[in-house]
Amino acid sequence: MDSAAINPEDRPTKIDVKSLTKRFGDLLVLNDISFNVAQGEFLAIVGPTGCGKTTFLNCLSKLMPTSAGDIFVDGEVADPKKHNISFVFQEPTCLPWRTVRRNVAYGMEIKRYPKEKINQRVDYMLDLVGLTDTQDLYPNQVSASMVQRITVARAFAMDPDLLLMDEPYGQLDIKLRYYLEDELIKLWQTLKSTVIFVTHNIEEAVYVAERVLVLSNKPTKIKAEVKVDLPRPRKLIDPEFVALRKQVTDLIQWW
Amino acid sequence: MAYEAVKVKKPLTLILLPIISVLTFFLVWELIVEFDVVPKTMLAAPTQVGDRFIDKLSDPNPDGGTMAAHAWVSAQEAFLGYLLSLGIGLPLGLFMGWFSVVRGVARPLFELVRPIPPIAWIPLTIFWFGIGLWGKVFIIFLGGVVPCVINSFVGVRMTNPTLIQMSRTCGASDWQIFTHLCVPSALPMVFGALQIALACCWTNLVGAELLAADQGLGYMITMGRRLALPELVVLGMVSVGLAGALIGMVIETVERRLLSGIRR
Ligand SMILES: Nc1ncnc2c1ncn2[C@@H]1O[C@H](COP(=O)(O)OP(=O)(O)OP(=O)(O)O)[C@@H](O)[C@H]1O
Ligand SMILES: [Mg+2]
Repeated sequence: MDSAAINPEDRPTKIDVKSLTKRFGDLLVLNDISFNVAQGEFLAIVGPTGCGKTTFLNCLSKLMPTSAGDIFVDGEVADPKKHNISFVFQEPTCLPWRTVRRNVAYGMEIKRYPKEKINQRVDYMLDLVGLTDTQDLYPNQVSASMVQRITVARAFAMDPDLLLMDEPYGQLDIKLRYYLEDELIKLWQTLKSTVIFVTHNIEEAVYVAERVLVLSNKPTKIKAEVKVDLPRPRKLIDPEFVALRKQVTDLIQWW
Repeated sequence: MAYEAVKVKKPLTLILLPIISVLTFFLVWELIVEFDVVPKTMLAAPTQVGDRFIDKLSDPNPDGGTMAAHAWVSAQEAFLGYLLSLGIGLPLGLFMGWFSVVRGVARPLFELVRPIPPIAWIPLTIFWFGIGLWGKVFIIFLGGVVPCVINSFVGVRMTNPTLIQMSRTCGASDWQIFTHLCVPSALPMVFGALQIALACCWTNLVGAELLAADQGLGYMITMGRRLALPELVVLGMVSVGLAGALIGMVIETVERRLLSGIRR
């Protein structure tokens, strides 16, 4: 049941990253990176620790100015005020003074969506991630996994042009992670968002993504691109899956 | 997965201890005065203070005002000064925390004025306002405004930077980040300021009234000294203390209601 019926190559380009370069003083972190993301594609990015994955997302989301190069959404220079770029951060980013429901609505309130649309959309998202029963609680009253689901729901609720995820499940235990990864795939299949998912967990990357970009050590370049053309739901013990995982692992270890 | 507050049962001793300690305090005080450990001209016994209190409820003598009249004047001054310090100090501190232009303009001036104790302004205040209501309001305002500015400033500065980044990626403007993020996350500090500022205001009220007044609880204390009536002095002190504690309790209750989500 692969939702992406058409090959990523045949879908229109959504995101165009052109010669993205980032320096911190003398330290060259991102070295002339270019790639495309197709409409509705699920792209994973893996790389060794400290290679600049977070920096990379910060540049993509325009939180940080780039040293050279730029990011285009639908052919226009990316702009958070115009485009919907959602970011799920490494750490949980719930607003403690808002209920679960109002946390999910936050991004849309910032974008000044009409009230009715927000309510509709929030109801829909809460239902999708199974938070309807807890919608009136505050973040400190729900479990850690729910907190991350709130931020994921908030990110998807904005109907993002581009959804950036920075190791969102890095801090959670394995069982929970599998569960949330499945939920993430379900959300992506239902809502057809364009996702860039950063992780240092290779298995996770191969499990969720349609395509995996492997980054090198600093100064970081794209070292390889691996297409993951496996049917879903994927099985971690499927020989093809194991082979792909091994391929990516070997790519990362070559430095 | 409903959340239920955990109720902690207080053991009986924890309830009794404060009561016992307060009762003992008053008893010892009474005995000290009763058996002339301290001469009666220097300290009044609690019972004397109580008698004087009942007296003062209806009798404006010897200091020219009933209890209610003094309390009303003081409450007015304190309330106005307090409101003024909140009304000016909180927004100023919040803006200083987020908008660098406001910080650049206001911070040096604030740091310059801050170390001057409000009481030091009394002479100038008498030149400007006389010894009426507004002079004291001004002194009280000066005392209360400092913690308001500092707390709300620090509260905004402590806003979680990741939350600011998250809002930026949602396309939030500076103003939206200020209102949606900085202000609510500064709220606990702001409520702290309400308490601290109240304490400062109340302290400065008495200070201002000791020096420049013809009515009010502080004035009652001064008159007690001039007329050599220790029980009047103590009555004034106790009233100031009790009223302060009462207002503090009210603020704490309101605070707990409003911040129920943030506090665990
Ligand atoms: N603001 C900054 N100023 C200077 N150097 C920085 C800054 N931010 C990141 N760096 C450097 O850039 C490099 C990449 O950092 P980054 O946080 O992007 O790595 P990462 O791949 O996300 O690491 P991790 O896997 O631990 O999350 C690091 O060597 C770091 O020291
Ligand atoms: Mg990182």
